[in-house]
Amino acid sequence: MEIIQVVNCTKDYHSDGQIVHALRGVHLSLHKGEFAAIAGPSGSGKTTLLNCIGGLDYSTQGNVYIEGTDISKLSPKELSRLRLFKIGFIFQAYNLIPVLTALENVEYILLLQGMGDSNRKRKAAEVLELVGLKDEMHRLPHELSGGQQQRVAIARAIVSSPAIVLADEPTANVDQKTGSALLDLMEHLNKEKQITFLFSTHDPMVMKRAHRLINIIDGMIVKDTLVKRKNK
Amino acid sequence: MKKDFEIISMLAWRNVWRNKRRTILTLCTIVVGCAMIILLNAFAKGGHDQMIEDATGLVMGHIHIHEKGYWENKTIDYAFEADESIEKALSSNTHIRAYCKRIMCDALIAKGGTTKGVMIQGVEPVREKQVCGLYKCIIKGRYLSDSDSTHAVIGATLAQNLKVDVGNTIAIISQGFDGSIAAEHLTIAGIFKSGNPEYDKFLLQMPLKQADETFSMMGYIHAYVIKASRIDNIDAITSSLSKKLPNNVEVLGWEKLMPELVQFIIMDDVSGYLFDLMLFLVVAFGILNTIQMSVYERTRELGIMKAVGTTPGQIVALVILETFFITVIGVLLGVALGAGISYYFTVHPIDYSQYSEEIAVWGITTTIFPATVTIANTVVTAVLTMIVSLLFCIFPARRASKLHPVEAIRHI
Repeated sequence: MEIIQVVNCTKDYHSDGQIVHALRGVHLSLHKGEFAAIAGPSGSGKTTLLNCIGGLDYSTQGNVYIEGTDISKLSPKELSRLRLFKIGFIFQAYNLIPVLTALENVEYILLLQGMGDSNRKRKAAEVLELVGLKDEMHRLPHELSGGQQQRVAIARAIVSSPAIVLADEPTANVDQKTGSALLDLMEHLNKEKQITFLFSTHDPMVMKRAHRLINIIDGMIVKDTLVKRKNK
Repeated sequence: MKKDFEIISMLAWRNVWRNKRRTILTLCTIVVGCAMIILLNAFAKGGHDQMIEDATGLVMGHIHIHEKGYWENKTIDYAFEADESIEKALSSNTHIRAYCKRIMCDALIAKGGTTKGVMIQGVEPVREKQVCGLYKCIIKGRYLSDSDSTHAVIGATLAQNLKVDVGNTIAIISQGFDGSIAAEHLTIAGIFKSGNPEYDKFLLQMPLKQADETFSMMGYIHAYVIKASRIDNIDAITSSLSKKLPNNVEVLGWEKLMPELVQFIIMDDVSGYLFDLMLFLVVAFGILNTIQMSVYERTRELGIMKAVGTTPGQIVALVILETFFITVIGVLLGVALGAGISYYFTVHPIDYSQYSEEIAVWGITTTIFPATVTIANTVVTAVLTMIVSLLFCIFPARRASKLHPVEAIRHI
């Protein structure tokens, strides 16, 4: 089943009176449970594509479908609801709410979804345990290391069991060892919970670990490769 | 909806204390602003009440009952019969502290070769003392008593102009109520100095009984003068009496008796309101600055919140609640401080009596300036501060809600 479908997507920016073509007629389909990476140099359009898929940005032309819904026709409020219930986000860094503890950051999504107290706390604690932060769940973000903060962000992204997790260069601000551990964790979640992961990255380690590698240059997909991985 | 409010209010509360120094500075602005507004309004109210008391307390009284037309014409012809129904209405009104009858007319006063125009008031000495305080201003001799007949008290300036002293006899001549010539010799029992140039120069008081005889009033009087238990009760007394009294009389409160004082108080209130407005704006811009900076600093965080599913409405609610929390704390502290200081000055009024002679040069007789803090003053100040602050936070709240997640997340 196609969980993401991008049809002839273009995105133009106006910068200093010039039109910048960030995406030029991109076509892309992703199926449930894929662990894919969009790779390319800086300015190639990978984050723009991720933003269009995540409903953070509207495409100039073309359509983006999430589980069959054309998100380019949704209002800002409807897009908020879509992101809340269907999509989990992981950003490069500093993406937690500083005044909330790790547990509350994870609970925040469930609260917005209207989940009851006991279920919400239990579920958030379970997910934090899953990402290895059982003992740090009552700490504020500034009391956690960069790697631990990214684990909280992963926990927040998957806590509501979204259809897709979009990760924008999730290993960019952590060391290689921590990056590798984060990828282990996301790969495990992909396998165990069948969550679709789509990364934007120029980290060779992420490209190496992705099951599908989509290369993008100058706003166009130039290569889309399925990689066979040995089961660990 | 309930869950939304729960999380948004928790976030707002924590955000308020995120930058403690800035929040405390903003709170100081609100507290000082609120307290100043309450204190200034309390002094204005207290000062006005004192002015009214001073202006009405000596001679005028709070309320007059006249025959219709008397106050416009002020001639001896507009007199009415002091019947029992009026006395009953006055004595049964619980807001009235005291009342007395008066006969009032203009006359000529003569001593030797000097003649002056005077205002004569025939008063009931004992009851008059319960209503007005002129008896306290006697500087020589004594005030009138119920046993007096052809006695009078006069103002110090008038005494000086006539070159008379206590014990001297003066002659008065005027027109009687029946059209006859009214003339009498009066012995000066006392001389008063009220501080009011008009009273000191033109006023003469004599016993009501004697005035009735001298001016052939035949039991008719020109006024009932009433002292209310509180200034705030004057309107209630006026409207209640107006319904009960006969049609030929009118009930006039001090506002109608002294329109120039009303004008002064209105002018003073207007300048007070302008000052209040400035203080409200200082508070409002303090809030605006804090919330604007707070939103700007959190641009990336707000972008992330929007990205993970927080709706624009929830962002607006967050910013408004942050403002609400800061303002509520500031207003509560400001009201407590303002009301506390005002109460102190209610109990310990500012006393300029040692400078009364210097002040009298400017024609001001009020030397005590108390503050009067009222519930209306504090509630209106608190509510207006809340409204102004919340109105001023709408702009940064809307700006925060309209942030584009992608651009906001790129913000450093």
